[in-house]
Amino acid sequence: MLRAAILALCVLALAGVPLLGDEVLIQYGIDALLFATLAQAWNILGGFTGYVSFGNSSFYGLGVYGTAIAMAQLHWPFGVGLAVGAALAVGCAVLFGIPILRLRGHYFAIATLGLSATLAAIIANIDIAGKNIGLILPLTRADAAFYEEALLLLIAATATVAWIAKSRFGAALLAIREDEDAALVMGINTTRYKIAALTLSAFFTAIAGGIHAYWITFVDPGGAFDLTLNVRMVIMAMFGGPGTVFGPLLGAFILSAVYDVLASSISTAAALLFGLVIVLAVIFMPRGLWDLAGGFRRSGARYLLQNIRAHRL
Amino acid sequence: MSDIPLLEARALTKRFRGLHAIERVSFVLRRGEMLGLIGPNGAGKTTLVNVISGTLPADSGKLFFEGAPIDHLPPYERAHLGIGRTFQVMKPFPRLTVLENVAVGALFGYHGGEHDLKVAREQARALLDFTGLMHRADQQADQLGGPDRKRLELAKALALKPKLLLLDEVMAGLNPAEIDDVVGVVKKIRDAGTSILVIEHVMRAIRSLSDRIIVLHHGEMLAEGEPNAILGDERVIEAYLGKRRA
Repeated sequence: MLRAAILALCVLALAGVPLLGDEVLIQYGIDALLFATLAQAWNILGGFTGYVSFGNSSFYGLGVYGTAIAMAQLHWPFGVGLAVGAALAVGCAVLFGIPILRLRGHYFAIATLGLSATLAAIIANIDIAGKNIGLILPLTRADAAFYEEALLLLIAATATVAWIAKSRFGAALLAIREDEDAALVMGINTTRYKIAALTLSAFFTAIAGGIHAYWITFVDPGGAFDLTLNVRMVIMAMFGGPGTVFGPLLGAFILSAVYDVLASSISTAAALLFGLVIVLAVIFMPRGLWDLAGGFRRSGARYLLQNIRAHRL
Repeated sequence: MSDIPLLEARALTKRFRGLHAIERVSFVLRRGEMLGLIGPNGAGKTTLVNVISGTLPADSGKLFFEGAPIDHLPPYERAHLGIGRTFQVMKPFPRLTVLENVAVGALFGYHGGEHDLKVAREQARALLDFTGLMHRADQQADQLGGPDRKRLELAKALALKPKLLLLDEVMAGLNPAEIDDVVGVVKKIRDAGTSILVIEHVMRAIRSLSDRIIVLHHGEMLAEGEPNAILGDERVIEAYLGKRRA
């Protein structure tokens, strides 16, 4: 009950941000909300099944281009554009997932690495996608609308993850993460569940891409299929707590803020310090911030030392 | 109907780079039977369990479950038919609780498992009670000690509601008192109507458990028969201890 109340308050507070009328704050907000959605979407596969995907930036790119082509070239409405982008990403996830989700652990991660670059190269040669030059979307709306859409998307993604965490589906994903061979003999059709997780992940990622594309009104292959974006999804989800419902949001909000503050105050050194934060986080709280609270309740400051010992540092 | 064996293997063969792990192994396991599988290290016992459960594909030979061929089925479909197994190198889901570990079996086992999480959890609880793990229900599986991990491995396999249970050395590494414990649990499982293929090094246990025993040596069937006859068989003793110098 208390939890639900806190949650409702957080949502209301977030929804009310545009009322403050601070344009810069709204823009930071849109970015943070979209990043949180991306981290949450990555969490569905990466956090629950343990399959580290670097293919999510391609789903993002397909969402971006699906929306951009639909709106800029075909003059379709925004909603249809989002649907086109999501359909492209989901189709790609199924096609790509069937062969490569048979790979385990690092091999899967490596196989996903090439996808973004490949798709970017293909897009750069398609006329309707504007080739190398990119596309310009209609400039029509106020930022507040984008903010509320991004918030709605984040709520939808988080509600989905909350459902997964309590469902039979989620039990299958966790079993796969914990021991895939054991999961197989326990009656779990692991391939089907992994593909379903990747598809869900692709869906939310693509919608986030579509919203971002319409918001900044310009897309090009390099920006849409950016692998560093994928790296940030991984870092935010891992930092906050992979396989949890709220961990990735926490990670995304905190790291977005840290990054923005660092970038505005010391610009060039920002990336360096950002890296330092990640290293410290991985050493002291390998299961993320969300686990830190529970760990402290169980064993106090010793929790940090336990993690160091577990790493054999 | 009932004279169709529960499991029938015909000339099962599995090679690893030319090494014969199992070579033309044929046997039947009848309904309600407890069949012992023994043999020295490297005889191919675990490979046989892997081939039956579908973890490893056989190179040749046929495998029938309740009269129907199952060679082409992936492990999860064999679990849905009613084949459950334990792993010699135990495979708990380390970061799930003991209860969750067992509930996974109930959720996805025989006939695809239960779809209601509550029902699955109730079944898991009953199995924790049965295997003596109730007091550990909410602990993470990686916190368990040896004997409890063996019990968990058993409870997980049982949660599938198997018709055939493949037990791969569930007693290895236990002390005599713990072995008696597990033997008691396995007997209860058989009395509840589950057929069992049991691999074991602990001779005392296998003698008291098995209706029949088959012996593997270098991947081939060396002998098959009633426990006392097998354990007195000259060839079997030779396989384990080497030739007697006469």
